Amino acid sequence: MKRSARGAGTEASSGLLLVSPPAIYALVLLAAPLATIILYSFFTDGYLEVIREFTLANYWETWVNPLYRTVMLRSLLVSVLVTAATVLLAFPVAYFVSFHVDPSRKSLWLFLITIPFWTSYLIRVFLWKVILGYNGVVNSGLLSLGIIDEPLTFLLYNTNSVVITLAHAYAPFAILPIFVALEKIDRSLLEAGQDLGETKFATFCRVTLPLAMPGVVASVLIVFIPTIGDYVTPQLVGGPEGRMVANLIQLQYLRLDNYPLGSAIAVSAMGIVAIISLIFLGLTRRYLRAPK
Amino acid sequence: MKGGWFKLYALAYLVFLYAPIVLLPMFAFNDATVIAFPLNGFTTKWFSEMWVAPGLWPALKNSMIIAISTAVIATALGIFAARASTRYKFPGKAGIMGLIMLPLVLPEIIVAVSLLVVLLGIGVPLSIFTVILGHVLMTTPFTIAILSSAFQSLDRSLEEAAYDLGETPVSAFRLVILPLVMPGIISSLLISFTISLDEFIIAFFLGGTQVTLPVYIFSQFRFPQSVPVIMALGTILVALSILLLSIAEYFRRRGIAKSGGKDTGGFL
Amino acid sequence: MIPKPAASGQTMIEFKDVHKWYGDYHALRGISATIRAGEFFSLLGPSGCGKTTLLRTIAGFEGISEGVVLIDGKDATDIPPNKRPTNMVFQSYAIFPHLTVAQNVGFGLRKQRLAKADLDARVAEALEMVGLKGYGARAAHALSGGQRQRVALARALILKPKVLLLDEPLSALDKKMREQMQVELIKLQRQVGITFILVTHDQEEALVMSDRIAVMFEGEIAQLSDAETLYRRPNSRRVADFIGTMNFLPAEVISETAGSIEVEAQGFGRIHVDPKQAASEAPGKSASIGFRPETLTILHEGQQATDREVGAVIEEVVYYGDMTYYDVKIDGTQKMVRLSMRNVFGRPVLDRGARTRIAWSPGALVLFR
Ligand SMILES: Nc1ncnc2c1ncn2[C@@H]1O[C@H](COP(=O)(O)OP(=O)(O)OP(=O)(O)O)[C@@H](O)[C@H]1O
Ligand SMILES: [Mg+2]
Repeated sequence: MKRSARGAGTEASSGLLLVSPPAIYALVLLAAPLATIILYSFFTDGYLEVIREFTLANYWETWVNPLYRTVMLRSLLVSVLVTAATVLLAFPVAYFVSFHVDPSRKSLWLFLITIPFWTSYLIRVFLWKVILGYNGVVNSGLLSLGIIDEPLTFLLYNTNSVVITLAHAYAPFAILPIFVALEKIDRSLLEAGQDLGETKFATFCRVTLPLAMPGVVASVLIVFIPTIGDYVTPQLVGGPEGRMVANLIQLQYLRLDNYPLGSAIAVSAMGIVAIISLIFLGLTRRYLRAPK
Repeated sequence: MKGGWFKLYALAYLVFLYAPIVLLPMFAFNDATVIAFPLNGFTTKWFSEMWVAPGLWPALKNSMIIAISTAVIATALGIFAARASTRYKFPGKAGIMGLIMLPLVLPEIIVAVSLLVVLLGIGVPLSIFTVILGHVLMTTPFTIAILSSAFQSLDRSLEEAAYDLGETPVSAFRLVILPLVMPGIISSLLISFTISLDEFIIAFFLGGTQVTLPVYIFSQFRFPQSVPVIMALGTILVALSILLLSIAEYFRRRGIAKSGGKDTGGFL
Repeated sequence: MIPKPAASGQTMIEFKDVHKWYGDYHALRGISATIRAGEFFSLLGPSGCGKTTLLRTIAGFEGISEGVVLIDGKDATDIPPNKRPTNMVFQSYAIFPHLTVAQNVGFGLRKQRLAKADLDARVAEALEMVGLKGYGARAAHALSGGQRQRVALARALILKPKVLLLDEPLSALDKKMREQMQVELIKLQRQVGITFILVTHDQEEALVMSDRIAVMFEGEIAQLSDAETLYRRPNSRRVADFIGTMNFLPAEVISETAGSIEVEAQGFGRIHVDPKQAASEAPGKSASIGFRPETLTILHEGQQATDREVGAVIEEVVYYGDMTYYDVKIDGTQKMVRLSMRNVFGRPVLDRGARTRIAWSPGALVLFR
């Protein structure tokens, strides 16, 4: 037994030794900083420094001050809308690539879908401003076709434009997990569904969709979590009406130097995201059990 | 046929995806300061103005230093983590790997502010170096995702065969494992380089007075007369990204072909 | 055929009470055995019995929890795999996909820093030995299964190990190829005279190829002997069942002397069994008599038994072309037993329900108790 302990020990210690550089890096530069802002969110803001005195005032401010609360709720709304739009629009594309594209061409399609994601995010967002703006592509197009008489103004600088731009930015994130889940479905299951007397559509609902759920859940989370913290899009295309929580955090940290309030806003945002994600995972749990 | 409608939809979706990118060269070659339709005739002057744009070259230089360092460090860390997670069992594995992969789902702004607070707290001056610290944190999960699939597709007995034939663990790694995961390493380098080059928030928060290319671009959006130059710059960047990605994809596929695996597609 | 150099009888590998635990799972449960220099040794057993684990303790990939493994007289516990005089042919062959055939075969020679000409000569020699002359420049991934296996063999043998370890080397090949490689492996082993240790779950393969076979169940060696002893005199019902087919009929031990055991066997009556034919399982279990399908003969009309005979009814007939299997009920028994008869010319295949006589001899019976 002595040697077995040693044998098992070497495996574990080699693994730990090997993982330690990235683990220590993440511990020092991620876990510790996250813990710090959580701590800061309970401190009091002095004028030039942070006073180390426990308080809940920052959270009170975050949740009661209508200015902050509105932005927080709007961010949440935008994230939910973006997630719904992105995932709903992405599903048919993933389905098409997985079920209707010749296997040898699948990589090409995936490549085409991922390319826009890798081109400058800032410039892409700016171009949405060009597309949706007063003299933008949409307006000049509609004008020249005679559909409208004067440019539409509800396109830019509000929640709509933020949702459209973010839905564009996160498209590949939504498509890829769904695609992977669809690819894993054994095609004979679908034949079995039809063989047992279901129509194609019923088979889709009763077989394909439940089996694709892990991918859908992954896309929802992978889109929902980061969008709530997006800074560039609301800043460039959101206007004052479209500002989101990241803009607020930036304001507190870089302009107003109020670290405790900024931290409380950041921690609150993280908390909401975590709670909603967990609720969502709980609701979809029955689809996620890996069939072994 | 049902697939026909899906195909139409998918093509429309591609149009949506590419719409902004298609506009980019249009305005880069458009002879007008205002970025709006109708177009005004062809010019290459924005490209030549780019050469003398103040602040662009220092920003580019900073971005290159940051992106190259990030790519190298993140890939090195990724090799450690991917190797550890695919080859060894150790206590707390799920938790440790979860922490390392966390930035993948954490909003960047959170990473940026938390790092900012700590760095200022312990008195590290903001500079290129602090941006690199943040970028490595952000890109390491991507490198791990790429490298894990490279390590995963390695047959464990290849490594054992090398020991069995007299090699030490170190020389076996060098002679067998490294050459086989090399395509994964190259694509990890390229992808972390690309992500870092494009990253804005962390560079904005942690760069201090050192401006990177995205921070420079962001600042130029405030001055309408500089925007056409940015369009020209963007066109070049997009062309470069597509080139780099094609190279990365090529290596990824070659890697899969080499180890006899099956292509499961995608960078993510 | 190349005459076999008599195994020198010296011990090459010795296991002394080897135990292996994977966490709570007891994978090897007190293995003690010796493997002689120059012999073709097989580890045979059902899936999950620990064959691969035992083989890997020799190669050094698996540390052991208790006991010792001696290789050529030396305690191997602290010798890493790269320092052991053993080489392995992996089940997946583990051909390095980024190297050519020649680079694969020469891989282990790197440490010896040979001149290029010497290296090339050694590689060419090894390739010729396994029948792959001229394949050196091929890319490794452009080989068939059988060729990959030959490359794996050449790569291991070029180092002139004292022991060659083979983990189910033939299981990935189709039946024809497998039979051909069995013969080639036997020839190769005779030619090089190295100790071969083969892991297989295919009993036929083990019987065909090995000088001695260790049958393993659940981390223990149940029987270690040459192929014929294993087949003729299995030492337990379990081994008998695993190797080929064995029929069992209930029996009772009446008396026992040094030279003979008196047994009352259902269907065969009172007989004397040679103690050598008696498996030594833990006594106290109800005894039974076992026999192989081909050791009893169904007599045709007018044929006389040379030794003894008994009446029987044919219950089922399965025709196999060269053979016919008969499930019969011997008079005075309830259990069906299976007999096999060669379909020699002029011998009719019997029908179901036919009465027949069966010739038997006490020498063919094994006593299990
Ligand atoms: N690394 C491991 N960790 C835990 N259990 C293991 C490990 N390797 C093997 N085992 C277990 O030990 C037992 C013996 O495994 P081994 O591979 O030696 O079987 P085997 O006889 O070679 O079977 P097969 O014919 O299927 O290859 C099995 O029950 C297996 O599940
Ligand atoms: Mg095995």
